[in-house]
Amino acid sequence: MIGRIKIWHLILFIFVLLLAFRFMLILNSYILLGIYVGLLFKNYSEAISQLSFSLVDIVSSAFLVVLIPAWIIIFHARLKFLNQHVTFTKLVIIILIVFFLYAPIITNANPGFQQNISETRLLPPLSSIEVIHLRNQKAKEQNIFIRFINKKDEVVKNTFDESIVFADSIRLGSEAVIYQNGEQKIFPMDTILFSIGKPVITKKIFLFGTDEYGRDIFSRLVYGARISLFVGLGSVLVSLLLGLSLGFLAAYPGGLIDTCISRITDMFLSFPAIFFVILILALFGNSLFTVIIVLGFSGWMSLFKIVRSEVISLKNKDYFFSAKMAGLSGYKILTKEVLPLILAPVIVNLVFQYGSVILAEAALSYLGLGTGSFYPSWGAMIESGQNYLTQAWWMIIPPGLCLFFTLYAANSLGKEINLFFNPRLKND
Amino acid sequence: MLFKRVISSVVVLFLLISFLFFLLRLSPGDPSLKFISPELSPQLAAKVRESFNLNSPLLNQYKTFLINLMSGDFGISYTYRIPVFSVIMDFLPFTLIFSTLSFIIQITAGFFLSLISVKKIGGKLDKSFSRLSLIAYALPSFFLGVILILIFSSLLNIFPSSGISSFDTDSYNFLQRLADYSTHLVLPLITLSLSGIAVYYKYLRENLEDVYNKPFVLNLRANGCTEKEITRRHVIPNAINPLISVAGVELGLLFSGALITEVIFGLPGMGRLTVNAILTRDYPLVVGCTFISGALVIITNLIADVIKVKLDKRLLKGMLN
Amino acid sequence: MKLKQCGLIILFSLIVLIPSCNRKNNGHPNAIIIGISSDIDSYNPLFSYTVDEGNVSELLYLGLIDFNWDENSGEEIPRPMLAKDWQWNKDSTSITLDLRNDVYWSDGVQFTAADVVFSYDLYSDPAIQSSRYGFFKSFIADSAFRIDLNKTFIVENPFKIIINFKKGTLPNYLDFAIPLVPEHVFKNIDRKNLITVEKQMKPVTDGPFYLSKWDKNQAIILKANEKSFLHKPNGISELIFKIVPDYTSRLTQLKNGEIDLMEDIKAEDLNQLTDLSNIKLTKISGREYDYTAWSNIDPDAYQKNKKIIPNKLFGDKNVRQALTYAINRQEILHDFLKDHGELAAGPVAPIFKNNLDTLLKPLPYDPDKARKILAGEGWKDVNHTGVLEKNGQRFSFTLEIPSGNPRRVFAASVIKNDLKQIGIEVKIESLEPQVFFQKVFSHQFNSWMAGWSVAIPLDLRSFWYSDLQNTPMNFSCYQNKNADRLINEVDHEKDKLKKHQLFKDLQDTIYNDNPVTFLYWINNNIAYSSRIQDINITALGAVYHCWNWSVKNN
Repeated sequence: MIGRIKIWHLILFIFVLLLAFRFMLILNSYILLGIYVGLLFKNYSEAISQLSFSLVDIVSSAFLVVLIPAWIIIFHARLKFLNQHVTFTKLVIIILIVFFLYAPIITNANPGFQQNISETRLLPPLSSIEVIHLRNQKAKEQNIFIRFINKKDEVVKNTFDESIVFADSIRLGSEAVIYQNGEQKIFPMDTILFSIGKPVITKKIFLFGTDEYGRDIFSRLVYGARISLFVGLGSVLVSLLLGLSLGFLAAYPGGLIDTCISRITDMFLSFPAIFFVILILALFGNSLFTVIIVLGFSGWMSLFKIVRSEVISLKNKDYFFSAKMAGLSGYKILTKEVLPLILAPVIVNLVFQYGSVILAEAALSYLGLGTGSFYPSWGAMIESGQNYLTQAWWMIIPPGLCLFFTLYAANSLGKEINLFFNPRLKND
Repeated sequence: MLFKRVISSVVVLFLLISFLFFLLRLSPGDPSLKFISPELSPQLAAKVRESFNLNSPLLNQYKTFLINLMSGDFGISYTYRIPVFSVIMDFLPFTLIFSTLSFIIQITAGFFLSLISVKKIGGKLDKSFSRLSLIAYALPSFFLGVILILIFSSLLNIFPSSGISSFDTDSYNFLQRLADYSTHLVLPLITLSLSGIAVYYKYLRENLEDVYNKPFVLNLRANGCTEKEITRRHVIPNAINPLISVAGVELGLLFSGALITEVIFGLPGMGRLTVNAILTRDYPLVVGCTFISGALVIITNLIADVIKVKLDKRLLKGMLN
Repeated sequence: MKLKQCGLIILFSLIVLIPSCNRKNNGHPNAIIIGISSDIDSYNPLFSYTVDEGNVSELLYLGLIDFNWDENSGEEIPRPMLAKDWQWNKDSTSITLDLRNDVYWSDGVQFTAADVVFSYDLYSDPAIQSSRYGFFKSFIADSAFRIDLNKTFIVENPFKIIINFKKGTLPNYLDFAIPLVPEHVFKNIDRKNLITVEKQMKPVTDGPFYLSKWDKNQAIILKANEKSFLHKPNGISELIFKIVPDYTSRLTQLKNGEIDLMEDIKAEDLNQLTDLSNIKLTKISGREYDYTAWSNIDPDAYQKNKKIIPNKLFGDKNVRQALTYAINRQEILHDFLKDHGELAAGPVAPIFKNNLDTLLKPLPYDPDKARKILAGEGWKDVNHTGVLEKNGQRFSFTLEIPSGNPRRVFAASVIKNDLKQIGIEVKIESLEPQVFFQKVFSHQFNSWMAGWSVAIPLDLRSFWYSDLQNTPMNFSCYQNKNADRLINEVDHEKDKLKKHQLFKDLQDTIYNDNPVTFLYWINNNIAYSSRIQDINITALGAVYHCWNWSVKNN
């Protein structure tokens, strides 16, 4: 579609953009890491207690933002897939991976950030709001621990920020008067942060608008990609493990075990998957872990059938007997004989399943049974947007489009891989 | 052969509801929650729990359950306080009608679209239909449903946004009532059928293309058969065959309640009934609904297989002529 | 073949599109349509649990007395319904009721005292498990709470009945407001199967409306009973409860006139309704409140061996008070509820004016004071982690909320942020309501957020009495002997003024102990069409006394 551009051109372009826009943030992350290392040496236990997921997240993103482009520049000639041309599907996949890895850097905000909600709720896309910065009462000691905490607050974004206030408009005089939704609030001048003699007033732009709690939809979209991809990956792995092992366990010995396991599989097949998923989630609570396991459980049946039929047909082949005579164990047979044969259909199956798992996760979030409220999910965004259908279309359209593009990419990727493994005779 | 299938299906169903029975009772959640509130006396909840027979040991409960099952009694729904089958009978007809309608639309539309696109393989229509089908398949149904409501219901006010009928239909005659049902079902049917149409279109088109490329078609053309005859009497029957099993599976899934569509449009179907039963821990109703869904899936699969066998026989006969 | 297809498609579209041009309720000029969110399970008062079920059953079946709401005193005043008149004896242990002799059931049989006796029998019979089972604490009953009919009821003639109460109890007017059911219909039905059998029978009612049709999951259609003494000549001829599960659809239908009354309207949607000329707005306040609970006892010790020891974090009342100071309830009320509500200082709603202790004001938002109090209790940020600690215990806990309620989600994140500012770490967990309530009932949580809808008349015993076995709704396990004593005295106090004072003392005690943080009273915003005249919505309910309404079509 975009024709001339190669993949590695595109990736480098994205990274250049990132580096340009978020230079300060990335630099600060490195400084933070430096201070943290110093803290590790000075006070080991304190440093360990400060370790948190968001900290590791942003530091690793900051590193990868430099490492990966470097790696691409060095190796781009050797790796074939980097030299392919960009299509719409590939574009979507790359953007998703970028969102997944670099979410904190791209958004520079916490997806759950909400402040001065009466000001920020339900704003249309590309709206901006005035921000006045207050003087922060931080300790000015030079203790390394305090330095670490201060830097951390700059880099790792929280769900609220007590040193800024949103306003419709700000009037400066002997004191700062800010207007929020028609109401006045007065701040004495000594509470305001100054820089180069002038009070610090910036503008915050909401790229895709805000939701009913005043949260930036763009940030939630980017972090939502994480949930979708992560849940998809996890469930697909679970399905793969289950399908492979059960398929082999059933087909290799054959006989009664085969019948039993096949019947159990049929049982799972005849129960509509979505009910099963809802049942387990409703009964046992809905955490990220449970959702992944349950979605994995709903998809292993087709893999089971593929593996089983392959192994059964294999059992009737000559070289199988000879392999067994030669003393190869079951495990070796599985890896050496069976796996290469089923690789093609399994991969295709997995890619399509990835798509349907993402859809299922979104559907579950839509029904209120999603992965919990730690990370936003596209399905949950659509669900809460439904209540504001006529007032705030931007709450539904962006996450819906993201879902749609992701599914489209997954399905066309599956089609392409299918074509790759089973080349058909094309018509002239 | 068929008999064996039926037996194993019955076994599967039985395994299913036993599994469910134990799963429900061993998990957290209290079905008597509805009967606990500041306005009610605490003794009521205790009495109700007794009547649900939830305090006796698990195996005893299972025994009672099995005995009742033999006589076809699924028990009394905790929420509705009437026998489970009566509750299901209130919701099942709608699901059957809705699913069948959607199925017919999906097959017909998929069929015609694939026929049109296969007339000129690689042509403009073919390419655009392929792309459209990929789009339709990737569009999440709840997103589509919400957008449809936004456009057609809130903005343009052409179709109603929920329910299956206006309430004052006792003053309508039959035709008006039918029309009323139709307006209410248009948006839900579109939402439900779109991805299905994409699936059938894709399958049919691939199969049709495959069959067109087979040598015997060339043979027939050389012998002077018209294009129409080739299509109607040779290509289509060959292409339909693999479709039937897919259709069977899909129809079974449809019968289990198009859950999301029902939730968005507030339709009184089996999907919503089952989910609500799960959420309110109405154990007998959950088991009953699951049984019906499972039975429907199994029955449709069986019917699909039977049709397939019959069709194979006819094909053989037709080709020998 | 193509022509046929096109023709079919065109025909189908015509059938589908024509009726949509014609979708107003013009066939029912004198009908009022109320939009409700879900279908009822039963119209029988024996089995009515939800508000909607109560509304429908009370319109179909009448009780001995009814209530008017007096706004000035904040109390319900009894007024005659099926009983025209009544006299108490000297020590209030028995009441004589004169019944109306002009009330007939819809099958023609006359209402008599036999219906009264029989109804009470049904309500208190354990085999039926009615919604009021176990209620009649002032009645003479056996150990299974079944009312002893011979000792309780004396039927002097078909329209005069004497009810004797248990000595030493204080009878409640609410006990005879329950809707009565016809004896002649139910007396021959096997009690154990009554709940199943009655669903298949045609309803026999005596109220101002009768059940004309019940379209499952679509609408409940009631028509005016012209023979009822409550019937107004120009009143509503038809009352339809239309079931529209989706909130946005309900709102849209309200705006374009398809439904005439809607409750529980979200605060942010009221703006679009104020400008419409065909819609009027009103509210019911003080019937519902949200609270953040701090478990007063240690849940782990209670789970293990039912021991009651104070909670490590929240056991001390000063700590709980500090938490109340630290939460900016005004912000939630202003930002989310748009000020459609008021801050709560205690469990007694401002509408109960006579019983309200007006001297108690909700604590202001004062994080500095909160910090001081916590420091005074020994909570300090020892190693500058931003989290307070005391004796090695970090002030960190999980706040549980039931899923599916945006207001509570919003409040939870505000609370989380507010408490972070004073050094308390809060993690929010959202659970499915079934699982949530089961755990709340079994006292497994340290802290959670939930709400209550408040009953009329005022009842504090069910929530604050310390005996955990008999007070299952004392979720936070509040223990205070003084409060127990006051609760017991209230139950036995006959003098009205003394009773008001006791309630005020009880509120003082609870206020000082701060067992939970009462957040705010939430208004029930109601919108109704200007077609409805003579409507007066009180705290007793939106649909209460709707037989007094009349319809004016322009």
